[in-house]
Amino acid sequence: MAPPIPAPKTPSPSQPSGKSEVTDLKLQLRQLAGSRAPGADDSKRDLFKRVISYMTVGIDVSSAFSEMVMCSATSDIVLKKMCYLYVGNYARCNPDLALLTINFLQKDCRDEDPMIRGLALRSLCSLRVPNLVEYLVAPLGAGLKDGSPYVRMVAALGVLKLYHISAAMCLDSDFPATLKSLMLSDPDAQVVANCLHSLQEIWNLEASKSEEASREIEALYSKPVVFFLLNKIKDFSEWAQCLVLDVVSKYIPGDNNEIFDIMNFLEDRLQHANGAVVLATIKVFLHLTMSMTDVHQQVYERIKAPLLTLVGAGSPEQSYAVLCHLHLLVMRAPMLFSSDYKHFYCQFSEPSFVKKLKLEMLTAIANESNTYEIVTELCEYARNIDIPIARESIRAVGKIALQQYDVNAIVDRLLQFLEMEKDYVTAETLVLVKDLLRKYPQWSHDCIAVVGNISSKNVQEPKAKAALIWMLGEYSQDMLDAPYILESLIENWDDEHAPEVRLHLLTAAMKCFFKRPPETQKALGAALAAGLADTHQAWDVHDRALFYYRLVQYDVTVAEHVVNPPKQAVSVFADTQSSEIKDRIFDEFNTLSVVYQKPSYMFTDKEHRGPFEFSEDLASLSVGAQSAENVISAQRYQENDNDLLLSTSEKEENGSSAHYGSVPSAYSAPQALTEAALIDHGSSAFTSQSAFAIDDLLGLGVPDAPAPAPAPPTLNLNTKSALDPGTFQRKWGQLGITLSQELSLSPQGVVGLTTPQSLIRHMQGHSIQCIASGGQSPNYKFFFFAQKEGSSVFFLVECIINTSSAKVHLKIKAEDGSAAEPFSALFQSALLKFGLP
Amino acid sequence: MLQCIFLLSDSGEVMLEKQMTAHRVDRSICAWFWDYVLSQGGDSSKILQVIASPTHYIFQVYREGITFLACTQVEMPPLMAIEFLSRVADVLTDYLGSLNEDLIKDNFVIVYEILDEMMDNGFPLTTEPNILREMIAPPDIVSKMLNVVTGKSSNVSNKLPEATASCVPWRKTGLKNASNEVYVNLVEELDALVNREGMLVKCEVYGEIQVNSHLPGLPDLTLSFANPTILNDVRFHPCVRFRPWESHQVLSFVPPDGQFKLMSYRVKNLKNIPVYLKPQLSSDSGNCRIDVLVGIRNDPGKTIDSVTVKFQLPLCIASADLTSNYGTVNILADKTCSWSIGRIPKDKSPSLTGNLVLDGMDRLHVFPTFQVKFKITGVAFSGLQIDKLDVKNTPSSPYKGFRAITQAGQYEVRS
Repeated sequence: MAPPIPAPKTPSPSQPSGKSEVTDLKLQLRQLAGSRAPGADDSKRDLFKRVISYMTVGIDVSSAFSEMVMCSATSDIVLKKMCYLYVGNYARCNPDLALLTINFLQKDCRDEDPMIRGLALRSLCSLRVPNLVEYLVAPLGAGLKDGSPYVRMVAALGVLKLYHISAAMCLDSDFPATLKSLMLSDPDAQVVANCLHSLQEIWNLEASKSEEASREIEALYSKPVVFFLLNKIKDFSEWAQCLVLDVVSKYIPGDNNEIFDIMNFLEDRLQHANGAVVLATIKVFLHLTMSMTDVHQQVYERIKAPLLTLVGAGSPEQSYAVLCHLHLLVMRAPMLFSSDYKHFYCQFSEPSFVKKLKLEMLTAIANESNTYEIVTELCEYARNIDIPIARESIRAVGKIALQQYDVNAIVDRLLQFLEMEKDYVTAETLVLVKDLLRKYPQWSHDCIAVVGNISSKNVQEPKAKAALIWMLGEYSQDMLDAPYILESLIENWDDEHAPEVRLHLLTAAMKCFFKRPPETQKALGAALAAGLADTHQAWDVHDRALFYYRLVQYDVTVAEHVVNPPKQAVSVFADTQSSEIKDRIFDEFNTLSVVYQKPSYMFTDKEHRGPFEFSEDLASLSVGAQSAENVISAQRYQENDNDLLLSTSEKEENGSSAHYGSVPSAYSAPQALTEAALIDHGSSAFTSQSAFAIDDLLGLGVPDAPAPAPAPPTLNLNTKSALDPGTFQRKWGQLGITLSQELSLSPQGVVGLTTPQSLIRHMQGHSIQCIASGGQSPNYKFFFFAQKEGSSVFFLVECIINTSSAKVHLKIKAEDGSAAEPFSALFQSALLKFGLP
Repeated sequence: MLQCIFLLSDSGEVMLEKQMTAHRVDRSICAWFWDYVLSQGGDSSKILQVIASPTHYIFQVYREGITFLACTQVEMPPLMAIEFLSRVADVLTDYLGSLNEDLIKDNFVIVYEILDEMMDNGFPLTTEPNILREMIAPPDIVSKMLNVVTGKSSNVSNKLPEATASCVPWRKTGLKNASNEVYVNLVEELDALVNREGMLVKCEVYGEIQVNSHLPGLPDLTLSFANPTILNDVRFHPCVRFRPWESHQVLSFVPPDGQFKLMSYRVKNLKNIPVYLKPQLSSDSGNCRIDVLVGIRNDPGKTIDSVTVKFQLPLCIASADLTSNYGTVNILADKTCSWSIGRIPKDKSPSLTGNLVLDGMDRLHVFPTFQVKFKITGVAFSGLQIDKLDVKNTPSSPYKGFRAITQAGQYEVRS
């Protein structure tokens, strides 16, 4: 968790002395203000420099504002720049004084030197004083028409700045339209890029308010504009290229030829020296080929080399960011990288976060052909000085073993770890051996022989101790001295502080008792007694002891049936990250999400999800303040990451539901029982889910719609309808609007609609497919389609949802007008069910 | 988009602050960042490059004791921010000659000017050093002298760079160079990994072709290689034309003026390494005997210079007594041993021997990794050879110089 926001800085102790200095400076500036004497500029420069340096150190020199402005009449460009800098810094807190600067800035905007015109215009737009916007419009308008590309470039971004101060003023002056024509006609590439940048932002923000802006956005991502930009791409600066590539990645090509044209055209961008360009290009490639499986694979092959070079050759900073993206790709298609495993070998000098990523990738790409080499490599890390990495690599070895490749060799290696007699190595290995045995019970013989030799005194970490105790209980019939080891552990009950270990001790004592009653009876009694007395820490221990006690009292055979039923080997362990989340991150390729390995909705603040929307009150912002749900899920990943198998206590703390409930047979019975509540919860979620699945199969609408929803219609939809974007577009163009409706979304639906994907999946459950979606909170736009069962009649829907007002605007186009009414009813009932349990 | 850029000194002091958007980022973010650095061990170069603070996402790039910090609150391509910050660092190094705290503090006005041209409203603009130089003159002594002589006190040319409008954005137009010369440097870094069994696990070369061009007019250069097929993956400076490379593997380009990186490449799966290192550690009853042997494996034909070997002693070692028959051995406070050999002699193999006393255990279970550094001048180890360099479009034929150098990058031997 991120540390708390530091308290606002107290005034620095140097300030008092700074104050007298500032008064002194003011005095000197005032003397120089009107001076035209030779050398006056030089002394001004020195004074300005001092003022700026105070500003830089953090001393407040805003009191010299009027003096600075008085001195600003100069032809010296450096003086001007310093003055602009100063004014830009303090204008916002001195709006009245800022008015003083308008005059000279406006004058400079008409200077004969284009550099000064540009600089002045930039400063003018950067003042950001709301009541001065009226003075901005004229210079901006002139700037956009200026003869110098430098000034036009500044003006193009100036429009965006104006928009942020006063959107109305910007729109009323019709600047976006001017920008648009400039974008399509200006000979200077940087001007074009700046226009694009401003337009994209303005229209994206406007799209929520006006129909026209969303049309403009569509026009921006349309074929003529995209191809216009693509044709110019080599003229753009590397950064502008990134911007253009981003636009291209949002474009939906009409047909496959277009896709190949774009890719051929951009191929050489993969060899650009700037990694940002390379990644942006890769994003375009991946997005374009999403629906063409084999081409998508070829794209992977093509982008592999540039990515690997970027990782190896760039600065460490770049290499980490690229590695995160590579990690994402490797996790999606490990097979394609299986021959490149050597690239993911860790170097000693790398920082540990890099090593960690590499270890994960090595684990993922292990297959029949490379497992031996990878495991050999990982085993070397286990002997390395870097202890956290040594631990990680042992875990990695275990994970590879659980992936079923060459288990034989790996088990040997793991057992060798146990012989190393390093406490952390032993600890990690024990946890893994336990997991291995749960999956491959056939190895128990070899493992038990080695595990039996480990003295429980050398195992300190609770997790490892719990694993050892579990094995003692589970294989007590094979381990001669299991009862005695357990006994001595129970004798030291009070030294064992972790509830996890105590719980395992209770269960192991029970299991051992069923197999070897005479030897264990005493120990079990002691354990139950100690457990019953255990009330100060966690009631779990007490409760379980009591439960076992009563169970044994009731009937030993029943107790055995409950505590130690015959188990099936675990075939698949819970995945650390759901594939849905991986897909989400993949959609956000080339963004911060990839670095954090979480889709942005899990870590960005709601108000920051837009392209550039801030809330005014910065102090109230907090990245850390995720919604409770997100926190839990984040913890869950963390948890899963730490250990493939969670112990009961942790699970209960987290209260995670169906996820675990779905594999209760994997746990021994008592754990399953104590979890009863959880499973209940989980299964209820399950039934509702399965109900959905059945609906889906039958192709029915909604059998029991909630009260506000219209009655279930009698129209069946094809569950597997398919339509390609081109056809959709054509049909959409051909058909007229059959129905247009406005309705309100249920409050739950609004809450559930954090991302377009959630609704898309929901609608899929009702045989309504989404072909395109977009927008940012609070405005989403979807294009859906559905097909009438047993016919070729398609329904096309444009659905605009505003989550802040919970209003939905529907436009339905049907190929069969008579079916439009029932379809609309069906669509609405499906939509209204969204978000309901 | 980046909202703000801070330059922090080695002690976490804010040396410079440049706000990019209407939403000011409070300086307290730097205090937060510095606390974070301290909590991670205090080494700025070893921490994550992208950090989520409670209020912002922070990107940081660390160069020569200076942390370049950028903040944003919105989603953006992380590599764009990182590349940009690296570029800022490069441009400042170029301007100021080198990079350190005092230089930044002495020239903060220039740094402000540069940042102003490099980024507007959080979006990168001009980052090409050649063009920046035309807009903001570097603070060199010559220009100061000129100012004194001509009485012109401005350090900027009043003319706007024409290149912003030219079709070759990396090159200013109408260059009149007194010197008519071009230098091509092959710089290779050799990464190698030798595992515990002494097997060469991985051996790769990352190479760069650095060009220093001082040619008049708009020269057109063509560089070809004798063996371009050995290159695995290549990346080019924007000036390189793609088609000639596609069809004939030749580099055809109009160079920027001055020093630039023409191309970078990777050559993988090399089978040889020039320097071998054989460590032997045997431990028994609380003592560990260490023997390390260094020598030339496949003589590259040129002298191997500046050889150093570094390794970290395991924590469990109480004391170490190391001697070498060649070069000097130092044990630093953090238990890092550094053995500087210099040039490997022809007649004997340098060796390091010694005894390590273990702390409370019989045998050593944790083994160090040896990091080897060296330099070979005159050889590109990958074997890449330049065939010829044609210069067209210059009034007279220029002087052409070629050099090659190979350095050890991450060259590691495990024990």
